[in-house]
Amino acid sequence: MTEYALRRGDGQRLFLTKNQIRDDLQDGMNDACELGSVPALSSDELDKLAEILMTPGRMVGVETGMEVPVTHDIGTIRLDGDQGNSGVGIPSSRLVGMMFHERAMGADTMELGHIDYSFKPVKPVISNEMQAMEVVQQNMIVPILYGAMPNMGLYYTPDGPFENPGDLMKNFKIKEAQEMTEKSAEHLTRDMVWIMQRMMKAGADGVNFDTTGAAGDGDLYATLHAVEALRKQFPKMYIETGMAGEMVLGMHGELEYNGQLLAGIWPHQQAKLLAKAGSNIFGPVVNTNTSKSSPWNLGRAVTFVKAAVKESPIPCHVNMGMGVGGIPMFETPTVDAVSHASKAMVEVAGVDGI
Amino acid sequence: MGMPITHIMTSGMSGIRAAGDLVARMEFSKSMRLKPAKEYVAKKLGVSTFDLSDEYVMREVRENLGIGVITSVAGAPKGHAAKMNIEKLLGIKINCCDKFRKQMK
Amino acid sequence: MTTVESSKIELFDAIVAYNKEKVLAAVNKARTVMGPQEIIDALAAGMNEVGVRFERGKLFLPHVMVAADAMTAGVKVVEQDLPKSGGKEALAVCVTGTVEGDVHDIGKSIVSTLLQCAGYKVFDLGRDVPLRNFIDTCKAENGRMIGMSALMTTTMQGQKECIEMLKEEGIRDKVKVMVGGAPATQAWADKIGADGYGENAGEAVRKANELLGIK
Repeated sequence: MTEYALRRGDGQRLFLTKNQIRDDLQDGMNDACELGSVPALSSDELDKLAEILMTPGRMVGVETGMEVPVTHDIGTIRLDGDQGNSGVGIPSSRLVGMMFHERAMGADTMELGHIDYSFKPVKPVISNEMQAMEVVQQNMIVPILYGAMPNMGLYYTPDGPFENPGDLMKNFKIKEAQEMTEKSAEHLTRDMVWIMQRMMKAGADGVNFDTTGAAGDGDLYATLHAVEALRKQFPKMYIETGMAGEMVLGMHGELEYNGQLLAGIWPHQQAKLLAKAGSNIFGPVVNTNTSKSSPWNLGRAVTFVKAAVKESPIPCHVNMGMGVGGIPMFETPTVDAVSHASKAMVEVAGVDGI
Repeated sequence: MGMPITHIMTSGMSGIRAAGDLVARMEFSKSMRLKPAKEYVAKKLGVSTFDLSDEYVMREVRENLGIGVITSVAGAPKGHAAKMNIEKLLGIKINCCDKFRKQMK
Repeated sequence: MTTVESSKIELFDAIVAYNKEKVLAAVNKARTVMGPQEIIDALAAGMNEVGVRFERGKLFLPHVMVAADAMTAGVKVVEQDLPKSGGKEALAVCVTGTVEGDVHDIGKSIVSTLLQCAGYKVFDLGRDVPLRNFIDTCKAENGRMIGMSALMTTTMQGQKECIEMLKEEGIRDKVKVMVGGAPATQAWADKIGADGYGENAGEAVRKANELLGIK
C-alpha cells in the first residue's frame, strides 16, 4: 500500500497510508469537537485535508485567487535575534529587517518589536522605540504595527512588584494569589496603554498583542482592558490580538469580561470577546501535540480554527508558527509541513489571513 | 526564516509586489473579512479580485497610482508619499500620514 | 442506606465539586461502611478527575487547590482509623524547577502544583535554577524524581547537563528524570537520556506515576 511522507508533531518524518491519514484526521477532529464543543468538519472537508497532505510536492500553494494577507509577529527578531527563539543572528538594523520583509519577502504587513519582545521592558526605552517607528514609517509602505507580548509573568516576583500567584497557590493562599493576579493585570493594562499611546504618537499603524494569555486568564483580562482603552482613545488604530494557547488557563479562575468567564475559553469564544473589546484582527492558536502525526494535529487545528472563523465578527489571522496551527514544534521548520498546513488553513478553515 | 517565507510562498498576497498590503489595510482599518476586503480593494483599483495577487497586473497598477513598488524607481512615490496616495485610493486615514501632515509648517 | 458504592460516589463527587464541607461529611458517612484506605482511594480517584477537568478547561487552578485542600482534610480525618504506622505519607519526593538561564515559571509551577495535589512532596526550586541545586536538593531530601523545565532551545541544554551531572555523582539510576517546556519533545527526552516527557501538566503527573510505579 502506498505510504505518504508526513511529519510527527516534533518534526520527525513519518510514513502513513491513506487510511491512516484519514483516521488520524478524524481522531484529531474528534478531539477538538469534544474539547471545544465545536462542529465537526464535513466528510468532504476531511477528504480535502487528506488530499492536501498526500500531495507529494515539498511545497504546495493555495489555489490562485485564494491568497490571504500574511501578518508577522516577533518583529525582526527572526532575522537579528540569536537567543534560541528562532532568530538566525544576522547582524542587521531593525530598519533593514523591516524593509527586507517588505521588499525581499513580500510580507503583507510588518511589525516593529524590540529584542526582549515583552511590553514591560519597553518603558525605559520608549524614546528609542518611538524613533525607530518614525524611521520605518518614513521608509515603508505596508501597515506597520508595534508588537510585543503582554507577558504578565514579568509583574511577579522576582521580576516585578507582586508576589508570585503560582507560589501563593501552592501554599493554598488562593485569595491572596487571585489578588496578586488582579493587581498585576491592572499594572499590565496601564503599561500597555501607556506604551501604545506613545507608539501611536510616533506614527504606528497599531499594535499586535502577541501570545496573549500566556500567564493565564489574568493576562487576557489585562489585554482586553488595554484593547478597550486604546480603541476608545484611537478609534482608527489597527489592533491585532494573537493568543498564546488554544485554551485560556484559569490561573485566577474567576475573572470575567463582559459577563464571560475568561478561564477555559476556546478560540471561537475568545474571538467574540476580543472583537467586543475592540480588536480588528484575532489570532487563534491551536497547540501542536508533538507525539501525534501531522494529520492528527492538522485535523484538530483546522476544526478549532474553522469554528473560530465562523463565529468571529472580525477577521481571523491564524497563528502558524513553531508548534501551533498544525505545524511541528521544531526550530528549523520543515518546509513541507509548513506549506501543507498553510494551504489547509486557507482552503479548509477559511482564514482571513495568517 | 523557513516559517514566514514558506507561508508567503504558499498562501500570501505578496505585499507590495501585488496588493497584499492594501487588502490587509482594509481588514485592519474597517475590520473587513477577507472577501469584502478583496472586493473593496479590487473595485478601487479597477481590477478583479483574482488580479490582486498577480504581480504582473499589480506592478503596472501600483506604478500608475503611485502607491509604491518593491524596486527603487527614481522619482516614484515612496514611504509617506505612497501611503498618502493609498489613503486617497482606499478612502482611509493612515496614522503616520496624519502625523506627517501635522508636522508641515 | 449508606453502602460502599454510594459512599464511593459521594466521596468522588464531593472532591470533584471542590467542596470541603461536603468532603468531610462524605468521609464521616463513609467511615461507617468503608475502611480508611478505601476512603483515601476514593478521594484520590476524585482528585484524578479534578486533574482531568483542569486539563480540559472545566476546572481551574484555584479549584484544583481547594479540592486538594479538601482531600487533605478528609485524609486527616481517616488517618486516626489507620494503624499507628499507617499515616498518609507522600507518594515520593520530586524536585522541580526551570533550569538556569531561563526565567519562565508558569508552566513549571502548574506541573509542581498538580504533582503536589496528586500526593507528591514537591520541592519547587523556582526558575533560573543552578543545575547543582537540583542534585543537592535531590540528595538532601531523598528525591526520587527531578522534573526540569526549559522554554528556550538554548536553555534546554541544561536538562542534558543535569543528567550528565547525575551520572557523575553516581546517582543517575536512583533518580528518575522528566523534562518539559515548550521546545522539549519525546525525541529530545530520548536523545538526552531522560526517563520521561509530558505533553502537558496532566500527562506529566501520569508519567511520573508510571515512572515511579505508583498506581
